[in-house]
Amino acid sequence: MSGTVGMPASTSTVWHPRDASEACRLKKRFGSGAVYTAGGTLLRTQWEAGQRPEPAHLIDLSGIPEMRGIRTEGGELAIGALTTLAVCRRDPYLQARFPLLAEAARAIAAPSIRNLATIGGNILSAVGDSLPVFLVYKARLIWREGEAERAEDAEDWLERGGEETEASVRLLLQIRLPLDDSPEKAGRTFGFYGKIGRREAFVPSLVTTALTGRIAPDGQLRGVRLAAGDGKTVPRRFPLTESRLEGAAADDGAVRLLHRLLLEQYKPAPDPFATAEYRKLTAANLAASHLWQAIRENAGRGEG
Amino acid sequence: MIDDGAEPAAAEAVNAVDRFWESTVNGRSMRLKVPPAKRLLDLVRDDLGLTGTKRSCEIGRCGACMVLVDGAPVNSCLMMAYQCAGRDIVTIEGIADENGGLHPVQRAFLEEGGYQCGYCTPGMIVSVKALLDAVPDPSPEELEEALSGNLCRCTGYGGIIRAVRRAIEEGRENR
Amino acid sequence: MLLNRRNSGDRWRIRPDGPGKVTGGLAYLTDLTAPGMLHGLVLRSPHPHARILSVRTEAARSLPGVAAVLTRRDVPGLNRFGIARQDQPVFCEDRVRYVGDAVAAVAAKTPEIARRALGLIEVAYEPLPIADDPELALRPEAPQLHPDGNVLHSKTFRTGDVGPIFERCARVVEETYVTPRQMHAYMETEGGLFVPGENGGVAVYAPTQHGLMDRLQLARILALPKERIRVVSSPIGGSFGGKDELNVQPYGALLALATGWPVKIHNSRRESVRAGLKRHPMIIRMKTGTDENGRLLAHRVRIIADTGPYATLGAEVLNFATEHAVGAYRFGCVDAESISVFTNNGMSGEFRGFGGNQAIFALEGQMDRLADLLGMDPWEFRRMNLKSPDEPGPFGQPIAKTDGLAVVWTAVKESRLWRERTEGASAAGSSGLRNDKDRLPASEGSGQPQKAEERSPWMKIGIGAAMVMHGAGLGYGIPDPSGGRLALRGDGKIEVAFGFEEFGQGLLATLELMLIERFGFAPGDIRIVIGDSDAVPDSGSSTASRATSMMWRSLGLLQRPFEEKLLRAAAEVCGVPARQLRLGAGGVWGRESGERALSYEALAGRLAEPIVCEASTSYPVSDTDIVGAHYLYAYAAVAVKVEVDGRTGRVRVLDQFHAVAAGPVMNPQGYLGQIEGGSSMALGYALMEEAAMERGKYATNNFDTYLIPTIADLGGSVEVWPIEDLPEGDEHGPRGVGEIGSVGLAPAIAEAVRRAAGVRIDRLPIDPARLQEALPIGGMAVMSDDR
Repeated sequence: MSGTVGMPASTSTVWHPRDASEACRLKKRFGSGAVYTAGGTLLRTQWEAGQRPEPAHLIDLSGIPEMRGIRTEGGELAIGALTTLAVCRRDPYLQARFPLLAEAARAIAAPSIRNLATIGGNILSAVGDSLPVFLVYKARLIWREGEAERAEDAEDWLERGGEETEASVRLLLQIRLPLDDSPEKAGRTFGFYGKIGRREAFVPSLVTTALTGRIAPDGQLRGVRLAAGDGKTVPRRFPLTESRLEGAAADDGAVRLLHRLLLEQYKPAPDPFATAEYRKLTAANLAASHLWQAIRENAGRGEG
Repeated sequence: MIDDGAEPAAAEAVNAVDRFWESTVNGRSMRLKVPPAKRLLDLVRDDLGLTGTKRSCEIGRCGACMVLVDGAPVNSCLMMAYQCAGRDIVTIEGIADENGGLHPVQRAFLEEGGYQCGYCTPGMIVSVKALLDAVPDPSPEELEEALSGNLCRCTGYGGIIRAVRRAIEEGRENR
Repeated sequence: MLLNRRNSGDRWRIRPDGPGKVTGGLAYLTDLTAPGMLHGLVLRSPHPHARILSVRTEAARSLPGVAAVLTRRDVPGLNRFGIARQDQPVFCEDRVRYVGDAVAAVAAKTPEIARRALGLIEVAYEPLPIADDPELALRPEAPQLHPDGNVLHSKTFRTGDVGPIFERCARVVEETYVTPRQMHAYMETEGGLFVPGENGGVAVYAPTQHGLMDRLQLARILALPKERIRVVSSPIGGSFGGKDELNVQPYGALLALATGWPVKIHNSRRESVRAGLKRHPMIIRMKTGTDENGRLLAHRVRIIADTGPYATLGAEVLNFATEHAVGAYRFGCVDAESISVFTNNGMSGEFRGFGGNQAIFALEGQMDRLADLLGMDPWEFRRMNLKSPDEPGPFGQPIAKTDGLAVVWTAVKESRLWRERTEGASAAGSSGLRNDKDRLPASEGSGQPQKAEERSPWMKIGIGAAMVMHGAGLGYGIPDPSGGRLALRGDGKIEVAFGFEEFGQGLLATLELMLIERFGFAPGDIRIVIGDSDAVPDSGSSTASRATSMMWRSLGLLQRPFEEKLLRAAAEVCGVPARQLRLGAGGVWGRESGERALSYEALAGRLAEPIVCEASTSYPVSDTDIVGAHYLYAYAAVAVKVEVDGRTGRVRVLDQFHAVAAGPVMNPQGYLGQIEGGSSMALGYALMEEAAMERGKYATNNFDTYLIPTIADLGGSVEVWPIEDLPEGDEHGPRGVGEIGSVGLAPAIAEAVRRAAGVRIDRLPIDPARLQEALPIGGMAVMSDDR
């Protein structure tokens, strides 16, 4: 706890680059004295908490065209990093094709914050509550550094800790989600997103999970993807669990298997508000209960 | 497919420190010399003297400083001057009609007792107005979502929920 | 009858302070500014416990734009404050004892300069070992905070030796209850404007619950006569007890006097959390025994309260907790010992409920456990052991006789919720009892309540209830005077003045309605004056649920003399006998003619001087010698239905019923708001709120980690059922309801959770981990052919 109190002085110089290259040049020029900013909502809480100083230079990304909009490109949906969480929550196309993203957006902060905060910012926090969704949707991150553009699986980025350094120049331009239109889609697909905190809404996450998959007509589970994380724990997928469930009969046994494996493999960190054990069991319970529900609904439909 | 929001105010790489901040506040054009990173909360309260917008948590967690920017609710403690330059800003003082007649949402709060100490009330009313402008007949879930960023410590939200419901009903009758 | 707008008719009124609140036009004291105003900030200790080796302010003083830097040397009077005991330093001298302790204060031209100046004050500290656990702080080897040690206060109440009686008991329950450090979380943080006067005095515009007490305390600190200090203290953006003690006032006043300029201080939330009061965390050990029929025989209570570094009202809170740990039940023998311990944690102090919340959580927990052990219905068990109206209070003291306990008990017994518990959902549902249309239906969706038949296997429902007997007034041994003033002023306004404060509870509205109903005035006839030490009589503090009672009592005393004076004056003007006139809306009316004889304005115009009546009274007090024992109580019973998600252990409150017996409802909107709002604080207390501290430092510094309920936590129905009857001859009128709503819900939730999840709750906020089950879908799977 420092001796000083209150908000910083709002003395930052603000730069408004017109494209990504210009933004990178500015960042290179000012180094760690400059911070990229879009909505700025997370920065504000970090400044208030004294976790980082208000920088001499803010590089405002809102005028960079490459970071805006949502469009399809070569079998992928490209979501500009500047897309606000409010748009993620409400956009009808996203709701239809990537419903878990809209659900995640509902669970992040409150509507007024979502009007400012961007999906890029949520991702770059490395513990944002949208990340489990991007993991199960196989998202790729499109980065720009100077003139060079680079794609990287969100999963790979998170596996390396997901955090960009203070001096890092590269910019997250887009998030790309595969528009998987392959014909082999028989059976019933399921998807689930869950976030648990210490109250019902607008709460830091103790557990965030996402689960997708399909129950094939032969009653076997296919393509199960599972991710979990929380407000302190960088989210990850669970490839072992997923592979053990691949082709497994969609029944009680699969639910128990999922539960057991997740308990073994998920390693969240504790904080003053919840133990690691609580987070682990909650993640396993949520994922397993939703698989159970999907199986039951599938059976119900089959009978009906 | 949509584009996410307004065009940036100034598409130039130069920093904006010497520029005037120009926006519309409560229907009136404003031109001020303020640092671009100044918070809208401070701008509204200190430079414009509009103290109905309240300072409380300063990190967007309570909603006491809620204002409308192009019709959408935004925490003014989170928004910096440059982010709302050239946009249409409405504070609680701009919710009533020009002759001072109360907005139906304000009237509903008054009649149902949707407030006690009143410190969260301006922000609460701004959020409710934004909701009902967008969704005139919200479901309970939509109402919970829309007001989940506005803390009230006094009422337990009972009076607030009754006020919103009354405003919804009145809106229905007047449609 | 359920309390709501519909049932209240035209008693449901628009509050006089309402229009300013819904338009944003009302200026709170932290909204005020003045020409040439400086900005004040306080430098507080970074350490929970340290010796101050030196304080150097030269660099800060020489920063351009800095008008003053003050330390302990700059306090002209007493460098201490505290409502009950003045032991908290305005500026620390040689030691800091918590992270909110003030060392210096700065006034500067801008907040930015003030902030930089704080950073330039050089304080050399030598950190000291800390006492951050109240039990360990009692050991002799613990760091000692004060010359007299670490005990602020202890309280003993013993009617006999419980030891041998426990041996005779057929059933004994022994439990340790732990309650959290709850934050008031008023939306407006502490602050105000401090304006130096021409006479060497100062005007203080800053929220408090007792302006005249602030004036007294500031007079000591500033070494000024009280008359040279004006305290303007309303309106207030919430207080809940948290702004009764001084907070920023000493610094603002000292800086204004030192600089000769107006000074504004407005705490950031972080500063407010760090320096401000919280509810006392308590460890309450209870051992309670019954005979085989369920009659209570013995009750042993041990309370340890963490009071933080200084006294404020810690002793009074402890007395209250001890009294309420005995509460409404007829124990054969009681042995209660409590102790309030100084620690290097945050400041504890006054908070709505005043120690009753902690004690009643524990006491009601004992009742539910004993009933369970006896195999009895917990509500019947309570009835059997509740005191009758003729019996004395918890400390054996005489109390005002009412049927409060019995009537709230019966109301819950007959409530829809309790019948659902005892008879099942269908029985209660088919009764067609109350169906509150004032709430939106409970939400459905993921993690949210569903209709019973659709409920997932991991969702479990429980219903619980709790009794509350809550004292009002300051209690025996503390002077508790009050009074008010009525006047017909020269402009024709009926001016009513009380030294009370409006912090949201609706005091202005209650007072207005009392004047309308008692005297027949029209709202436009009335001018209400409160919250200004230069303009009000001494009414005492707006605390302890006492203001409504004291206004009612004062107006009762004022009514006849005021009416007589007005009517006599009017009679002279009109040339008719006074007995033919009466007071009414807009003026004096002819009793027979039914016409207005004279407007108040016209009457005032004919007077040489205003008509003024003053009344002095005091809060009724018990004929006892036990300090803190109360005479008047309000009574409540709460039933609640919760849902526990076995997957996550999360608890949702679905439905609440509050029966409250506190005499006549003076202001329906205010009454409903107090019970609903109080219960939402209790919900937070039970389920999520804790100002966590680690090694004397807050782990929750703002609303991102200190969580209070949002609208999504309070979607369920809340029914409030006031019971207004008082025994014939009761002369005390309405009992206040400012606190009682904040007490009973937490223990009721604990019992409801026990019913739902089978887990006894002994610690708040409820830890979801304790309610969690591994894979709670057992036996419900639809396909099991593989096993």
